[in-house]
Amino acid sequence: MTRVNDPSSNQDERLADFTERVLKGQAKEIDSNADQELRDLEETILRLNSTLPPASLDEAAAKQMLVRLKARVRKEGKSAKPSFWEKWFGVEWRSSLPRPQFGMAFAVIAMIVVLALLIPSLVTSGSPITATALTPSQNVTLVILLAGAILFIFWITRRK
Amino acid sequence: MENTFDTASDEVLIQHFKDGNEAAFDQLYYRHMPNVFKRVRYVIPENDVEDVTQEIFIAAMKSLPSFRGESQFGTWLRTLTNHKVAEFYRKRTRKQEPLLAPLSEASGKVDGSTSKAMEERVYLQKALHKLPENYQEIILLRFAEDLQFNEIAKLMGQNLEATKSLYRRAITALRNHLEE
Repeated sequence: MTRVNDPSSNQDERLADFTERVLKGQAKEIDSNADQELRDLEETILRLNSTLPPASLDEAAAKQMLVRLKARVRKEGKSAKPSFWEKWFGVEWRSSLPRPQFGMAFAVIAMIVVLALLIPSLVTSGSPITATALTPSQNVTLVILLAGAILFIFWITRRK
Repeated sequence: MENTFDTASDEVLIQHFKDGNEAAFDQLYYRHMPNVFKRVRYVIPENDVEDVTQEIFIAAMKSLPSFRGESQFGTWLRTLTNHKVAEFYRKRTRKQEPLLAPLSEASGKVDGSTSKAMEERVYLQKALHKLPENYQEIILLRFAEDLQFNEIAKLMGQNLEATKSLYRRAITALRNHLEE
């Protein structure tokens, strides 16, 4: 399992070691003994370290950022548009739904309820001859329209 | 109130926040803000660092009630940070906004850096962003968060040898992108 003699493993070690030295400020230029490939990688590390030096944030700056963060949260809270449900029913339904899947489940249940209410009117009672009227096809259209409306409302309320 | 939370674990703080104690969130913020900031500053242009950092914490605030503790909070926040950084670049691409501010805006110095240094910074950040996620991650953990290779190995659930190998491949990929 050991890869001691594996040249790539050796390169991994040397590059990691070089990185440690660069980040500790102990190496500021390419290791002259390295082979060309490793020298190229070392150059990339030096470039990364000089262009994107490690950042630090003092406590005062962090506090100021928290103050601005809270101000933004308050501002966004005040300017947030009420949702469809809140606007029309005075209830924030969606905030009480912890996951989007619950919203989808709600729409599916609503559809099942509508279908359950309407299906009995589609089934003709008595002789099949009496089922030749136009009423069933109108009901099917109604069901499709209602289902479409529910899905449309659901889609509208999910849009930002 | 904050002092009483100083020694509390992240899990305890999250529970307090869920119970409506905002001071618990402040403590979480002070605890994790430095790492989030370092990571964001590494990959986002200077002018947008604070804005993106704020968005991360606002998203954290909104999502914490549904946080179920399946991973550590720090790991969860790191994922959220990556998500927000990706969203930043997606929005920029959609709006076709340049990542670098016009030279008139950048002609002065930001953090002591000249416009040429800023260009190099943005160039490197773009190259970093093009890397596969695991390559980006290991570079960020080592350079931005200053974790040691053994700490990275533990975090990634790999052995040290595999971590160093991944690191070399990541630097090689970055080098190739920079040469393109």
